[in-house]
Amino acid sequence: MQPILSVHNLNKYYGNQVGCKNMNLTLYPGEVVGVVGESGSGKTTFINSISGNLIPDSGKILIETGNETIDFLEISESLKRLLIRTELAFVHQNPRDGLRLDVSAGGNISERLMSIGQRNYGNIRQTIFKWLDKVEIDKSRADDFPRTFSGGMLQRLQIAKNLVTSPKIIFMDEPTGGLDVSVQAKILDLLRKLVRELNLSVVIVSHDLAVIRLLADKIIVMKNGEAVESGLCDQVLDDPQHSYTQLLVSSVLQV
Amino acid sequence: MNNVLKFKNKKNTVAAQDEIYNFAYLDENTKRMIRRALIKALCIPGYQVPFSSREMPMPYGWGTGGVQVTSSCLTTDDVIKVIDQGADDTTNAVSIRNFFKKTANIKTTEKTSQASIIQTRHRIPEEKLKEKQILVYQVPIPEPLAFLEPRYQETKKMHALSEYGIMHVKLYEDITKNGHIETAYAYPVKTNDRYIMDPSPIPKFDNPKMNNNPAIQLFGAGREQRIYAIPPYTEVTSLDFEDYPFDPSKAPHKCSICGSNESFLDEIITDDDGNRSFICSDTNYCNQRMENN
Ligand SMILES: Nc1ncnc2c1ncn2[C@@H]1O[C@H](COP(=O)(O)OP(=O)(O)OP(=O)(O)O)[C@@H](O)[C@H]1O
Ligand SMILES: [Mg+2]
Ligand SMILES: [Zn+2]
Repeated sequence: MQPILSVHNLNKYYGNQVGCKNMNLTLYPGEVVGVVGESGSGKTTFINSISGNLIPDSGKILIETGNETIDFLEISESLKRLLIRTELAFVHQNPRDGLRLDVSAGGNISERLMSIGQRNYGNIRQTIFKWLDKVEIDKSRADDFPRTFSGGMLQRLQIAKNLVTSPKIIFMDEPTGGLDVSVQAKILDLLRKLVRELNLSVVIVSHDLAVIRLLADKIIVMKNGEAVESGLCDQVLDDPQHSYTQLLVSSVLQV
Repeated sequence: MNNVLKFKNKKNTVAAQDEIYNFAYLDENTKRMIRRALIKALCIPGYQVPFSSREMPMPYGWGTGGVQVTSSCLTTDDVIKVIDQGADDTTNAVSIRNFFKKTANIKTTEKTSQASIIQTRHRIPEEKLKEKQILVYQVPIPEPLAFLEPRYQETKKMHALSEYGIMHVKLYEDITKNGHIETAYAYPVKTNDRYIMDPSPIPKFDNPKMNNNPAIQLFGAGREQRIYAIPPYTEVTSLDFEDYPFDPSKAPHKCSICGSNESFLDEIITDDDGNRSFICSDTNYCNQRMENN
């Protein structure tokens, strides 16, 4: 099997400041790769650089669409934007960054459908209801505006909006950050359910090891912009090799 | 195309016009610049071409874009008609017509069929246009994506990449809220199966007339400094859904003057008791019907 996404020697600097350096990643279909590290370690820089939100300074990103291998940093802006709105999805930490607040919940979910050419209102409505159901939002809220939603509901709506067209790769930056602990747990449950049911291929960033342990198959541990350790999630967390990972594991997982 | 391409030679236009003005007010360099924009616009139907709008002796919002386009197309043997919401006799239409009479000394008409150039605000004449006629629209807001995205560079990209999903989101919201597509004016269209275009605030009733029209259709937005165009016989379709198809219908009334039930009607209050009636918004169409009866 071929990886759906592979990243080689990726570097991103902000002037002289390291954002992330010498990063590598391999994501196979149906796999979840978690990126973990303390605040400022470069997680957001990395995920933004491999999803088209930021342009890295150097490196290579290959995306397998099924028909061809796309050299993501070499393709035209137009192809890149097309890919971003069809094959890729990005779930932001703050759902307000990923939603249109002046468009109804259903309208938000409909956008990707219509941008790939769906033109049947009735079918689109049905798909919206189906996805609201999947993310556990009551159908009756379809026509309400996001501003009337709680933080957890907004995040679930953002997830539905992104998954509705079955994108090949889903990027998530701290999808449970900024939420109450009880709400976080519910979103995590939901994500775990969706990942299993839909066999999603995901790169997820979190500073919370528990989140990564729950969702990820593989893990990359970052510190000061670099990967200090990576491998199968269970292996790395059960038998951390790098002292920083050991510190992370001992401080977080005992709780 | 002939009229647009017939570049004026200064020497033979001097004849009887007011000496103070260059023919049709604008200087020849400006006209050349606008004609270039027009030709580019005709080559890429529905694409908005930036142009550098000139100060005109009328405020923005009063048709400065349309007037500059018309000026740049005019030749000495043109016959011009100006309508505002379909009527030849409103203050605005009269003043623009007088402007061209004075600065270009050309013939004017109210008859749609006799005009070689028709400048319009908010309507397309009822009478079918012909080849070699030019319809010039006055446009307040040329960008159909402006409601969503105020940044010019971003809308430019969206057009370039046909990122038009959001246009249907707008229609989706409309149906969801109202049970049908409520948009009745400035109803968005796709031109030549490529660019989404704002047809200016004409009623959706007029949208089908843009499609496959033998005349040249030019759109000028003065304040926003954009020109766009539909060449003759170009496909223009109104956005819709399969199960909510575009419906150009109008209020089911007859004109109380000429009796037409095919023309677009204005609702007017006829007396102090607030009684209402409907009359053709296209005054020339209505008058012609009365004369022929
Ligand atoms: N726009 C920017 N300009 C300059 N430096 C930046 C910028 N964004 C991030 N950095 C720096 O790059 C480094 C990595 O930041 P990044 O946001 O990627 O970390 P992070 O792991 O996502 O942190 P957090 O957990 O707080 O979200 C930090 O030192 C940060 O200060
Ligand atoms: Mg971050
Ligand atoms: Zn009438």
